[in-house]
Amino acid sequence: MNNKQLISLTTSWFQSKSWTPFPFQKQTWKAFLDGKHGLLNAPTGSGKTYALWVPIVLQYLKENPDYKTKHTKGIKAIWITPLRALSVEIQQSAQQFADDLGTGMTVGIRTGDTSQSERAKQKRQMPDLLITTPESLMLLLASKGYEKTFKTLTAVVVDEWHELLGSKRGVQMELALSRLKTVSPNLRIWGISATIGNLEEAQDVLLGMDSDFRKNSVLIKAKEKSKIQVRSIIPKKMETFPWSGHLGLHLLEEIVPIIKSSKTTIIFTNTRRQCEIWFQKLLEKHPEFAGEIAMHHGSIGKDTRLWVEQAIRNESLLAVVATSSLDLGVDFAPVETVIQIGGPKGIAKFLQRAGRSNHRPGEPSVIYFLPTHALELLEASALKKAVKDEVVEDRTPYLLSFDVLIQYLVTLAVSDGFFPKDIYSEIKKTFCFQGITEEQWNWCLNFITVGTQSLQAYDEYKKVEVTPEGLFKVESRRIAMMHRLSIGTIVSDSMMLVKYVSGGFIGTIEEWFISKMKPGDTFVFAGRTLELVRIRQMQAQVRRSNKRTNNIVSFMGGRLPLSSQMSKILREEMQSARLPEANRKQSIPELKALGHIFERQERESIVPGENEFLIETFKTREGYHSLFYPFEGRFVHEAMSSLLAYRISLLSPITFSLAYNDYGFELLSDQFLDIQTILDNNLFTDEYLYDDLYKSLNSTELARRKFRDIAVISGMVFQGYPNKAVKTKHLQSNSQLLFDVFRDYEPDNLLYLQAYRETFEHQLEEGRLRKALERINSQEIVWKQCEKATPFSFPIITDRLREKLSSEKLADRIKRMTLQLEK
Amino acid sequence: MIETIEINNNIFQLHPSGAIYWVTNKMLLIADVHLGKVLHFRKYGAAIPASAAYKNFETLTEVVNHFEPNTVCFLGDLFHSTLNKEWREFEKWVEYCKAKVILVSGNHDVIPQYLYENLGVEVIDELVLNDFHLTHHPSETDKGFNFCGHVHPGIRMKGMGRQFVKLPCFYKTKNQLILPAFGNFTGKYILTPSSNDEVFVIVEGEVICVSR
Repeated sequence: MNNKQLISLTTSWFQSKSWTPFPFQKQTWKAFLDGKHGLLNAPTGSGKTYALWVPIVLQYLKENPDYKTKHTKGIKAIWITPLRALSVEIQQSAQQFADDLGTGMTVGIRTGDTSQSERAKQKRQMPDLLITTPESLMLLLASKGYEKTFKTLTAVVVDEWHELLGSKRGVQMELALSRLKTVSPNLRIWGISATIGNLEEAQDVLLGMDSDFRKNSVLIKAKEKSKIQVRSIIPKKMETFPWSGHLGLHLLEEIVPIIKSSKTTIIFTNTRRQCEIWFQKLLEKHPEFAGEIAMHHGSIGKDTRLWVEQAIRNESLLAVVATSSLDLGVDFAPVETVIQIGGPKGIAKFLQRAGRSNHRPGEPSVIYFLPTHALELLEASALKKAVKDEVVEDRTPYLLSFDVLIQYLVTLAVSDGFFPKDIYSEIKKTFCFQGITEEQWNWCLNFITVGTQSLQAYDEYKKVEVTPEGLFKVESRRIAMMHRLSIGTIVSDSMMLVKYVSGGFIGTIEEWFISKMKPGDTFVFAGRTLELVRIRQMQAQVRRSNKRTNNIVSFMGGRLPLSSQMSKILREEMQSARLPEANRKQSIPELKALGHIFERQERESIVPGENEFLIETFKTREGYHSLFYPFEGRFVHEAMSSLLAYRISLLSPITFSLAYNDYGFELLSDQFLDIQTILDNNLFTDEYLYDDLYKSLNSTELARRKFRDIAVISGMVFQGYPNKAVKTKHLQSNSQLLFDVFRDYEPDNLLYLQAYRETFEHQLEEGRLRKALERINSQEIVWKQCEKATPFSFPIITDRLREKLSSEKLADRIKRMTLQLEK
Repeated sequence: MIETIEINNNIFQLHPSGAIYWVTNKMLLIADVHLGKVLHFRKYGAAIPASAAYKNFETLTEVVNHFEPNTVCFLGDLFHSTLNKEWREFEKWVEYCKAKVILVSGNHDVIPQYLYENLGVEVIDELVLNDFHLTHHPSETDKGFNFCGHVHPGIRMKGMGRQFVKLPCFYKTKNQLILPAFGNFTGKYILTPSSNDEVFVIVEGEVICVSR
């Protein structure tokens, strides 16, 4: 069959379903069959699975004309999905198409949830299409004979590529693809991405730097634009609505009618803890919801998660409280209503969540926005504008992530071993490592073989060994096993299983949360109140409890920064909100609702105009607060606060605690800070910016925090055996300790330096900071000495997530501190 | 730099390395050195800078030269794990050290006793001397005031302007003094003292009493 015949075969299948293929689907089929690589830009729920699964099947039919009678064994395609939750959907629709055409092709799933026996079966006989995650693909590269397994591969499809791109999982994918390009001679590489600001770059990163792949590639954009309507839930009484907070429970009653009037609702929260709390409170206030609402987040047991996903499809649940674990997925199961609680922190994420609602053609998707504190209404109005103007963020790919490279090299050494010469030329062609120097490459090889750059006597370092032929290989079974267990780039705290004493698995929670509790204590998890009975071998055994408790499970690191695009719109909204009352009323309801807060801000300080830069100072029980409002977004504020704190600390010994949000930042100290000295010394200058910023980092915790992930990914910190009683205590250390050891003994270590580089590239955007400083220098500075906290300052000063910066001797500081005694 | 305290009419000096010098008995007390830990990690594939291992021996030598004790008594967890090549460094150190060396053994001390004895190091489970009871695990008996290790004690301090800091410390209750971990690649366990406890933190080469 030629391409035309193959495509008409599909078109008639579409007709049998009374569907019409979209133009982007046809375009993709044709490009694929012509042997091209590419990136498909299509939103969730648009039929993107068929855009790429169809040509994979057709290609097989083309190469095997007698497919009806004889099935050719061997894997044909790998479908990468970032979330396990998505795999079932894709499997079902892919299998249906393959069956209806009578191809005899099989579709299998391999993720962390796949059983041991299923995996073993797959190893003996791979399915034609394997749906898997980046981590599970890496694990396959860590098994013997993978080159033979993947030889028959015709395609790798990376779904939701935008999700992977800006993370180290993306780097992991780049490396895996660089290997498969060599191993599978007939490989096509395709990505599917939602709309992001840098689609072309996304395509470059996916395909790598080799010109063969780039020249022969296409970027296909689906024209289907889904319309989105944002509706803010505005508190009836703004006067009593809180100025800070992130839970939003004040407005709980407002969403009840919304839930009741629609068939199925997804309520998106930003963290797992928030998800638990909302679920709990909804049931508490509305017992009639019992059995009709459920909860979905990444730490809940797999069975429950699958059950909830199925229930969403069947529309058998009234509402589901969820986290980003439901962001992407469930391609073919739109729900009627979506509610977002709290700022989604990014336009792309918000659009994606909105896209989960109501896919009836012609009708817009509706998303309700529930603010958790007053100023978030400004964010709501900014979001509306962003949706209208179609502003979307970039996803910045990682460069030179040596930690991921080191993990990858050990992975290859664990399976069949590798020759550095071959692998070097492969990785050199990836986007991430295009700039790697020979020196850095040799450093990585040294790191995995001798563990250091200068050989020491008496050393027994052992990881990768080099055979006389020059093959790099892991010989120790124990090291191989430890490495397989550590593959991945998502670093979490040590996890503990939660099980009933009588048996029955509930989910996993972080060890630190359990370790704070004694047997008999109660906590809320997965929507149930549980009593801790005992801890046995990394398992928390619990039983149901009737006690009431506010101890709701929490997880580390739930917070996302607001994007730069959002903060620009926010600044513009701010100016519209300044308009006189009369004008404001005609404008947007969110801004109107904010009226009295702006009036209060005017009374106690000012609402800065376009050419004004506001600084507020006041004293509370906590110390001396100095607040600065550049309205440049969290990232810039993070950098600017540490820069300014550092420059002030050079004038005299002082210690600061720093906090920031999207509007401004705070320097809190136990000493009085004279703003006039900042102005007199011109501390907002952009001279020596890089230098000062770098030095200020040495004094803050930022780089230290980045190092945590790097230490785990590169295998320096072993996180332990999951679900196993094997003692790993004697091999556990924490990354804090390691960071100090490197600083003191090996400051030129590439991984240690990477922590600083990542802070600069992904946390503090130097370019934007420079522009922001220029703007401040051109503005009129207004210093307000206030009586007490102002509405603008409130969400910042109550923030508990803080950085520290000090130029004082620690010994001097502790003389002014007090010991924390037992209560 | 050094803080001097008196317990049962005996004089003790708390050194910023985490060691205690028992002046009356000319005995140096050291807990939780965890020698061999760095190499142990390296053996299992975690590339911790090997030079960190040698720092422990430097500090050991420094304190012994400073106090010139008659006896050095290790309160357990001298070695982190089984025999590795750091043992040879230890052999050299014992040879160099003029004082008598005693090890009150702890939970990590799995190296066979005879190897220590070959070096002239005495290995015991506990030591009762005058009114004092020296152990690895904290122990509450009537054998006397207890000096021990094992816990790696640390405390948390709080100041104005949301300042917090965690520091290793000597932790003294009515009948017990827990020594901080001497080793440089060891963590700490944060305790919350009650108002009767005495806490001496180690900060930038100083020992400072923070509970007064």
